[in-house]
Amino acid sequence: MLKVALAGQPNCGKSTIFNMLSGVNQHVANYPGVTVDKKSATLKFQGEQFEIVDLPGTYSFSTYSLEEMVAKTFLLDEGTDVIVNVVDASSLRRNLYLTFQLLELGKPLVMILNMMDIAERRELEIDIDRLSKMLNVTIVETVGTKRGGKKREILEAIAQAGKISISEPFKIDYMEFETFILEIEQMIEFDSTISKRWLAIKALEADKVILEKVNICKETIKDVTSNIHTKLDLDVDQTFARIRYDSADVVYHKCVKEKKQNLDTLTAKIDRVVLNKWLAFPVLGLVIYLIYQLSIVWGYKLTNYTWPLLAALKNGIVALLPPPELTNVPIITDFSIWMVNSAIALLNYIPIFFILFALIAVLEDVGYMPRMAFILDRVFRKFGLHGQSTLPLVLGGAFVGGCAVPGVMATKGIADDRARLATILTVPYMNCLAKVPFYTLLLGAFFKEQMALMMFFISTVTLFIALIIAKLATSTVLKNRETAPFIMELPTYHLPTLSGVLFRASQRVWLYVKKVMTIVLAVAVVLFVLLQYPGVSDEKMTDFSQQMDSALEKFDKTVKDNLHYQHVDQIAEVSNLVNLYDNYKNQRMLTKTKSAVASLDAEFLAKNPELFPLVRPQDKDAREVSKAARRLSKTNKRLQIAIKNEKITNSFLGMFGRALEPVTQYAGFDWRINVAFLSSFAARESAVATLGSIYEKGKSNLSAEESLAQDGAYTPIHAAAMLLFMILTPPCIATMVVVKLQTNSYRWMLFAIFFPTTLGVVLSILFFSMAVQFSWSGLELMRNFYLSAATLALILSLFKTKQSGWQVGKSQ
Amino acid sequence: MTQTTASTLYLSDLIQNQRGIIQSCNAEGMLKQKLLSMGFIPGTEIMMLRNAPLRDPIEVKVHNCLITIRRSEAALLRIEAIC
Repeated sequence: MLKVALAGQPNCGKSTIFNMLSGVNQHVANYPGVTVDKKSATLKFQGEQFEIVDLPGTYSFSTYSLEEMVAKTFLLDEGTDVIVNVVDASSLRRNLYLTFQLLELGKPLVMILNMMDIAERRELEIDIDRLSKMLNVTIVETVGTKRGGKKREILEAIAQAGKISISEPFKIDYMEFETFILEIEQMIEFDSTISKRWLAIKALEADKVILEKVNICKETIKDVTSNIHTKLDLDVDQTFARIRYDSADVVYHKCVKEKKQNLDTLTAKIDRVVLNKWLAFPVLGLVIYLIYQLSIVWGYKLTNYTWPLLAALKNGIVALLPPPELTNVPIITDFSIWMVNSAIALLNYIPIFFILFALIAVLEDVGYMPRMAFILDRVFRKFGLHGQSTLPLVLGGAFVGGCAVPGVMATKGIADDRARLATILTVPYMNCLAKVPFYTLLLGAFFKEQMALMMFFISTVTLFIALIIAKLATSTVLKNRETAPFIMELPTYHLPTLSGVLFRASQRVWLYVKKVMTIVLAVAVVLFVLLQYPGVSDEKMTDFSQQMDSALEKFDKTVKDNLHYQHVDQIAEVSNLVNLYDNYKNQRMLTKTKSAVASLDAEFLAKNPELFPLVRPQDKDAREVSKAARRLSKTNKRLQIAIKNEKITNSFLGMFGRALEPVTQYAGFDWRINVAFLSSFAARESAVATLGSIYEKGKSNLSAEESLAQDGAYTPIHAAAMLLFMILTPPCIATMVVVKLQTNSYRWMLFAIFFPTTLGVVLSILFFSMAVQFSWSGLELMRNFYLSAATLALILSLFKTKQSGWQVGKSQ
Repeated sequence: MTQTTASTLYLSDLIQNQRGIIQSCNAEGMLKQKLLSMGFIPGTEIMMLRNAPLRDPIEVKVHNCLITIRRSEAALLRIEAIC
């Protein structure tokens, strides 16, 4: 097996090359932005097995950043056979800085000159032959965004390179340092496939990892360095860097003809607008608004078209299940419907995610992301966040509605570890799309007149809360996390390709489906059990069945003298009739056109020649049966809901909700609300569904809003306290999963669950009690909460974060 | 002529479109390595392109690359202004 390492500087298009080489069947966790963990793929070419590892993009090989560490450790330890160096042809000089260090390793190297199109556009003429001879490497030119073209050529070059062994590695003349390098080289008694000279150079650069490896102590090197300092008056790091850059300059000038003196004028022109002092914010606002509009708003509209498909799928599955016999619903049916509902609740968001991921890919390719960080860094830094936190927060729903899952995923690109964790912890506070129905339910019930104002409070207060949390977290629990200097390249603008964007968008959607779905479904099972057991007492059950029996008797009496009585004189037949009635009604609601209704009728009639005429009556007698059936169906539904309520009341979750009541009562939450919140943990939608079903008392003409408002148990301040809790409420399971993935720690995941919950309980109790004490209205409660959050955020922004910049000279 | 000795300039002091030559880098450790590997090397010409809309960070051009850097870090690079 040939081990191939793919190395290159950031923004050189390395990932595209990796994707091209490995095809679609790779095991890649390809999140937006930097990939710290290395990705690998195996493939077969001309009978030989290749293992290709994609190393994180690095500018150099020091030990300081995580990416460089990962890249270097891999090159040192894992016996790489061939190094493939991806180079951005349009900024060859700087890329050569890394190339030299790779060449010095003494391993066969294939250079991929990527982005040749941009180099051409800038009228750079690169003498490939000369470059290839000067560096003694094989060079393949590519335009990374054009898929597939050069795959074969690259693989052939790799296979060729695998066969040669390098006797004399590439050498840069380090002038005054040569004697010292030689001196250290002689100290190394270490057998390796890596060139001794390289190890000596790195040792002289006081590289900790290398020093340990070659067994030279720090002090020895310190002596040499101070010797250089006094004798030559040279700083080791700076001199090495200077010589490498000078050498790159020499190579560059011999191999490249620049026809245009300046860098891409197009980029400069665009930047003059996009980064303009006055226009930067409006442009940023417009971009964010467009992302929001296209993905969340339009995507949501798109779900109107995909939803019927999912509903049809659900109906199809339900049709396969054993049908209920009136109030007696088989548990397998109940369970399957629950699972299908949980699954399609998430699948429903796929159009939104797809558009969102595609747009992110576009922004990444275009090069706007780092510019966003450039514009906003100052604001976010005040709260311990990072310019790059913008996008995650927007995706999470910085306006009304987003989703924390892609939001948390997008944090991967943040270089500063502390800011990244702070962002991960704050994104779930943003308003997720699924919270919106809950808000509208409560606002519709209690704040009909002030709806717009309340919605404004809800959607903007989250930003203040996020900033406060970020500030608090970074100055307490995250205080000692590593921060990184803010030095970022602003790449030249590229035009994204459709295939590249679609490829990455679908890759990320697939990842979401795979990782999130499995866990959500597992939790759905647990919740089902918690809601289903121990179940309704026998006593109650007999009461319900008696009610059903009397309803049946009544039905029987009404239709006894009917022409069609022979079709409904058995209980099983009546049960079938009710099921058929409900089934038809459900399907009928999904059908819109007249012809569709006709074909639906025909289909039903063909399947149920005897009963269907009673559902869709043509004669007087049939109409009578149909009417009775409708009444029976209503009673049946009412009883089913009553049983369900009874089940929830007696369930483990219900008990849990009641056990919490002594605490939550101070926030105005009774056990029913507790249960709704508890079940919302699986997916936010269930909060509304549970609340709805608890309040659905069978008075079916009332909407959930109306029955909530008329229930009498709650006042607007109750509702405001609930809203407050929902604003702070812990992220759903799906978000937890990605928090776990991104932080790689269960501790942070648990923190992300319990901290907001506690905060939510404490704050809703506080504000609810104050509201009772000072007899605030619901609106006042919300307004006061809003003002306190805004004030606190403002005050916190005045405190300087201790390590606001980057600490100079920090070492581990 | 006497400019360099009289006033020590740092990258953070440059005004828009002003150019200079990097003299030395006062950073250490990771920051120094990062600066060096991104091309902030003594003797290199550097150009201040613009401030961010809120004045911090700044955008500079080094080796024909556009780099954004916070003022706090830019204050560690000593510069000799051209013209």
